Amino acid sequence: MTQEIDVSVVNLTKRWGNLTAVNNVSFDVPKGSFFSVLGPSASGKTTVLRMIAGFETPTAGDMFIGGQRINDVPANKRPCNLVFQRLALFPMMNVLDNVTFGLRRRGGISKAEMERMANDVLARVDLKGLNKRKISQLSGGQQQRVALARSLVLDPTVLLLDEPLSALDLKLRQDMKLELKRLQARMGTTFMYITHDQTIALAMSDTVAVINFGKLEQVASPDILYREPATHFVASFVGENNRLNHGRVVKLIDDQTCQVEIGGLLSVARIGEELAPGDDIDLFIRPEMIHLQLGKQASGIVGQIKEINFDGAHSLVVVQLTESAIPLSINVKFQHTEQAPAIAVNDTVTLSWGRAAANAFRHIEPPTEGKE
Amino acid sequence: MSAKLKKSGRLWLVLIPYLLWIGVLFVIPHIKLFGLSFVDHRSGELTLGNYAKFFGSDLYRRVFWRTALYAIFTTILTLLIAFPTAFIITKILGKKMKAILLLSIVLPYWISELIRAFAWMVLMRETGVISYLLQAVGITSHNIEFLYRNGTIVIGLVYTSMLFMIIPIINSLDSLDDSLIEAAYDLGGNFWSTMREVIIPHAGPGIMVGSTMVFMLNLGNYVTVTLLGGKNSLWFTENIYNQFIVRFNQNQGAAFGVILLTFSVLLVWITLKITKQDMAEAM
Repeated sequence: MTQEIDVSVVNLTKRWGNLTAVNNVSFDVPKGSFFSVLGPSASGKTTVLRMIAGFETPTAGDMFIGGQRINDVPANKRPCNLVFQRLALFPMMNVLDNVTFGLRRRGGISKAEMERMANDVLARVDLKGLNKRKISQLSGGQQQRVALARSLVLDPTVLLLDEPLSALDLKLRQDMKLELKRLQARMGTTFMYITHDQTIALAMSDTVAVINFGKLEQVASPDILYREPATHFVASFVGENNRLNHGRVVKLIDDQTCQVEIGGLLSVARIGEELAPGDDIDLFIRPEMIHLQLGKQASGIVGQIKEINFDGAHSLVVVQLTESAIPLSINVKFQHTEQAPAIAVNDTVTLSWGRAAANAFRHIEPPTEGKE
Repeated sequence: MSAKLKKSGRLWLVLIPYLLWIGVLFVIPHIKLFGLSFVDHRSGELTLGNYAKFFGSDLYRRVFWRTALYAIFTTILTLLIAFPTAFIITKILGKKMKAILLLSIVLPYWISELIRAFAWMVLMRETGVISYLLQAVGITSHNIEFLYRNGTIVIGLVYTSMLFMIIPIINSLDSLDDSLIEAAYDLGGNFWSTMREVIIPHAGPGIMVGSTMVFMLNLGNYVTVTLLGGKNSLWFTENIYNQFIVRFNQNQGAAFGVILLTFSVLLVWITLKITKQDMAEAM
């Protein structure tokens, strides 16, 4: 299947002196898709966005929008618009003047036509009848919509969004998240969304590009990203994971599966990157994919419950592995279904998981501080 | 604590020095001045004669309008120089250059206006430094008098009041989020449309405060104007000075003072109305 590409970035690099903010990044954004760039703070994701928007000049590499190379096109002539992190609405103008700002720059559009276009796009973001309001009179969510409308009215080939939801409180953020996705689907405009919040990236995107220290780690659908992380970083950054350091590859079962040993315990794992028997690895196990049974079972790994942290739909259960040669504990997301056994602290339990729950990557020293 | 203070009304005590200051040095003298302006110099009777004299005299009226127009002109000129400077200081320069430039703007004000004016006289008089240099380079073969010209007065006034224009504009531009400028560009704006629709409206209050201060300072300037313009400066303050000090006619001087004050207040008020600004908001 050949898909039309709206944004294409080829070997994009940005250096400031010795600091390489963006290192040889390449990706394609398919037309009409919701594309996220996900990374921790200072990973270079905002720099990528600002280069595409035209506010930074790349040190090397090319950028294309709709097949046209835009490296030398000034920011105010590029067929893309940016929704700023702090929205950057014009406080000296009312809602209508904010939305028609870009139209007024184009010239050749009558005032009535501009107003019609503005009303049209304001209706689409559910902001009718507020044309004369000042920006300061709007709620956070309404301001968000004005910022979207102000860009969308120009019908950009791609809409760039620089974490515009991060300024909102949690409840509003979740509402806007769903709304933004629906809006994108309805308008069919290509969205390129920059975020450090993986829940947003996973929930909204068709494709997610994970970036760390200026390097692209993986470009994949949220589903693949979650289940089949391509790198050690993606496995540790995306979703919750148990990270068990310093395991060892015992043998390769097939080209995707291996058997690993950690503290004398054996586990199957998906091969995250090329591995050979004897390799020093870190094992990542998804807490919600671990099966917990009461008592000591014939197969599986035996442990003792140390903590139960109740969280409504499920509990986070901390299990100390009793038969391990080194102290190991694993977090299990335990679903409170009707069939689920009653559990209590100090209970002996048996844990088991399949290949899909565990990913093995070559060992990397953990950073001294916690992740972000 | 502050709520308690507020309730007891004792917070007002803090304002007493200021209230005394403005009362004794501003309100009372001006009421007195206003009263004096309606009294005849010789007979001591109530009269409109002092005002009649102003409106009846071609010379006084001309000097007045000349002063007003020059004050407006220098204010506009100061604004035209100050705005780009303030913009560059706040939005373009790095921290270090910003500090150097700001210091260079403030530094001259550490010297008194009188001494600055005397220094310029040394530069600009017939046998002064500029005249000498021009002859040394061979541009002219004789001495040139730069003092006592309208242009010299304008240069002096612009220089003297620059700080009072730049600082309020810097303040207002500092509070302008850079992303607003980027957003304007991103939406297709260019330099001029961004200036017109985003930057200048945002800086409006600062421009208004600066212009008001500079205009008032220029209109009421005496030292710089008299020293650089000499006897021919024909500045209205000179007339007031003459009435009070030379002719001992304080009633006539008071009337001139009231006319000048009324005009400046009126002009500021009209400007605020035209630019749709609120004095409280602007200040």
